[in-house]
Parts: sequence; C-alpha cells; structure tokens
Amino acid sequence: MIRLFAATSFAALLALPSLALADGDDPQVQYRQSVMSIIGTNMAAIGDILKHRLTMPGAIANHADQMAEAAALIAPAFKKQVAAEATDAKAEIWQDWAKFEAAIEDYRSAASALAEANRSGDAAATGQAVRTLGKSCGGCHKPFRKPKEESYKNR
Amino acid sequence: MRLMLALVVCLLAAEAAADLENGRRVFAATGGCTCHTNYPGEGADAPSLAGGRALETPFGVFYSTNITRDRETGIGGWSDADFIRAMREGLSPAGENYFPVFPYPAFTGLSDADLVDLKAYLDSLPATQRENRPPDAPFPFTWRAAVSGWKWLNFEPGRLEPNPAKSPVWNRGRYLVEAAAHCGECHTSRTLTGGLNESIPLAGSRDGPEGQLAPNITPDAKTGIGQWDRADLVWYLETGLKPDGDDTQGLMSEVIEHGYANLPAEDLEAIAFYLRTIPAIENAVVAD
Repeated sequence: MIRLFAATSFAALLALPSLALADGDDPQVQYRQSVMSIIGTNMAAIGDILKHRLTMPGAIANHADQMAEAAALIAPAFKKQVAAEATDAKAEIWQDWAKFEAAIEDYRSAASALAEANRSGDAAATGQAVRTLGKSCGGCHKPFRKPKEESYKNR
Repeated sequence: MRLMLALVVCLLAAEAAADLENGRRVFAATGGCTCHTNYPGEGADAPSLAGGRALETPFGVFYSTNITRDRETGIGGWSDADFIRAMREGLSPAGENYFPVFPYPAFTGLSDADLVDLKAYLDSLPATQRENRPPDAPFPFTWRAAVSGWKWLNFEPGRLEPNPAKSPVWNRGRYLVEAAAHCGECHTSRTLTGGLNESIPLAGSRDGPEGQLAPNITPDAKTGIGQWDRADLVWYLETGLKPDGDDTQGLMSEVIEHGYANLPAEDLEAIAFYLRTIPAIENAVVAD
C-alpha cells in the first residue's frame, strides 16, 4: 500500500510540470498571439476586399498602414523567451534575434509598399504588393514558427 | 508559285509547332514542377528544375530528377514520344520503370497536346548539368523491376476523358485537379502498398510530401475546406493566403508561388468550382 502510494505520488509529481505547461495560459504567449491576430485580421480584410471586389475606397491602404504600424509591436512582444507548450514560436527566434528583426523589417516595408501602391490607384501594383506582403509573412513564419506538423494546435 | 509554297510550308510548320504559351500554362498547372527544384536544400538560388530535392516517403528518400534540357544529365535528348511515355506510362526512354514518387498516375490523364506543349516549354528554359542521385531506400523499394508489381496494383494509364454529362467548367476543373495539378498525390492518403486510397479521395494525408501533413480539401465543413467559398479558393491559389489571413507553408507554398499563382483566372475558377463539387468527407488530419 505504501509502495503504491509512493509510486502514484511520484507519478503525480512528474506529471505536475507538464500539466502546468499544457495549460497554455502564459500571458506573454497570449499577448504575442493577440499581436499576431491584429496582423492576420488586417490581411484577411484586405483579402476580403480583393477577392470579392468590394468597393472600399482607401481601405486597403488603411489596413496596410495598420499592418506596418503593428510591425513595431512584434519584437517587444517576443523579447522575453517563454517556454510553454501552447506556442508555435521556435527557439530560433532567440538564437538569431538579428535575423528575426530583419524578417520583421521586410514585412514592415512590404506593408508600407502595399499602402503606397494602393494609394497610387494602380490595381496591378496593388495585387503584386499583396503577394509580396503575403510572402513576407512566410519570410518570418518559415524560419521562426513551428510548421503545422509540430503545432500545438494539432496535438 | 514559290511564294505559295513558302506560305504552305509556313502554315504546316505553325500547325506542327508546340504552343509555348500553353506549355507555360500546363507548367503552372503542375505547380511549376517544383519538386524538381531543390529549394529546401539550396534555397531560393537552387538551379531551377535541375533535381536533387530529397523527397521523403514512407518507403525511403527519393531524389527528384533533372528535367532541364541538358542533353547529358537532363531530358534534352528526349523526343516528344519519350516525354509522353514517361508522363503517361511512367517509363524512361530506355523502358525502365520510374518510381511512383513521380506522380505519373496523375499525369497520365494529360492530353497529348498539353504534354507536347509542356515539353516545349521545358525545352525553352535554361539547361543545368547535374547528375541524378539514386534513392536512399531499402530493398526492394530501389528495385525498378518491382515497380511493375506496384503498377499492376495501383496504376491505370490513360488520358482523362471529359464527362459529357457535366459542364465545361467542371470538366476543366477535374482535368486540372486530377491530372495536371495532381492534388491527390499529396492530399489523398495511401494504402499499405503505396497506392492512393480511393475510398477517401482528397480527404487529406498524414504522410504528405516531405513528411508534411496534407490537409483535407474536400468540402467537409468541419475537417475540410467546406467553409471556404469559391472566391476564397481562387484567392488562396493566387496568393497562398487563407481566409483568416494566414500564409501557407511547406511544399504547398512553393507550388502556389511557382505554379498555380501563374494560372489564368478561368483555370483557378475551374479548380475552385470542381473542388466544391467533390464528395465531402469527414477526416481530421492531425500529426501523430
């Protein structure tokens, strides 16, 4: 009986840290995900306008401006390395911070270029700038975000 | 009289010549033959279509081949008939079986004209000299003769003929999805013998290319893309951007960038139209 008690207590102790991590409520991670969703929501809104040919004068440039501004929020949000299960941030972010910042700058400049292209009224340039902006998302996600095969969302 | 003759000769030549512009379109529809460029190993500067890309499969690692017009190491010495036989029957000019990591079970459906035009387009691109690399796989998966047994079980050669009961846009979409874009090669799971599991077509695979998960692309609302409308699908294939604004990763991002994004709007519309008509299959694709 004592042995059984000892064994179960030991197992419970072992399980404790992983239970705490699996919770996924780390406020820093939540904040990072909120920042990312600002960006994703603006990108989705731009897609809504273009794919459905909605008449929304100036809206694409406005969304692109918001995306460029949100770029400044990314690095501070990731500055603190948080080890938690419920995140897709890869350790490479903190191993190569300069590369991470360079990828953010590529994204910011692609967002600004889209705002400019859209203000010029050139539909073809706007379409191309959207593709470049979308690719810049991948420019950061490929090296620094876990692929879906390793994502906590698929566990 | 001479002028007349010259005109006739010109007209005949024009008829026989491949249509490069259509070749470019077929190339885009295949996803830009992206598996033949080693982007993962060599980055954005990888020599285009020169092969050497490691393709992980449950049967071992196979390396894509050089399909540039280099005569020694590529396919520059091939006739149109050689090219058609490779794509339709999975056979080399010397009559050897290709490993089915080369998706000839899909390409077999392409028309002769599209195949000839695709070859002409490939022949118009730069040549790169690079030897093909043999697979890193255990016996018998490296034994080309054994592929005959695989073909007997899993492969039926032949052009994909239109279904007269369906609309032209449906038929075009089916041709693109099933043959040219070879969607099922990644998005349909496989049987134990490595054939496509035709009982759940396009419902996703845990053993996708390069160890990736290939999502369910049937119209199932819960586990597939049933919540994507036609415009979402067209936009996705044009830009790689999903309805929630997220980008695409893995091999799919490459086949969009180098292939599908360069298709004319009517082809993207046809793909979207067809994909929304296939049976919805509930099948959640998650990692092990």
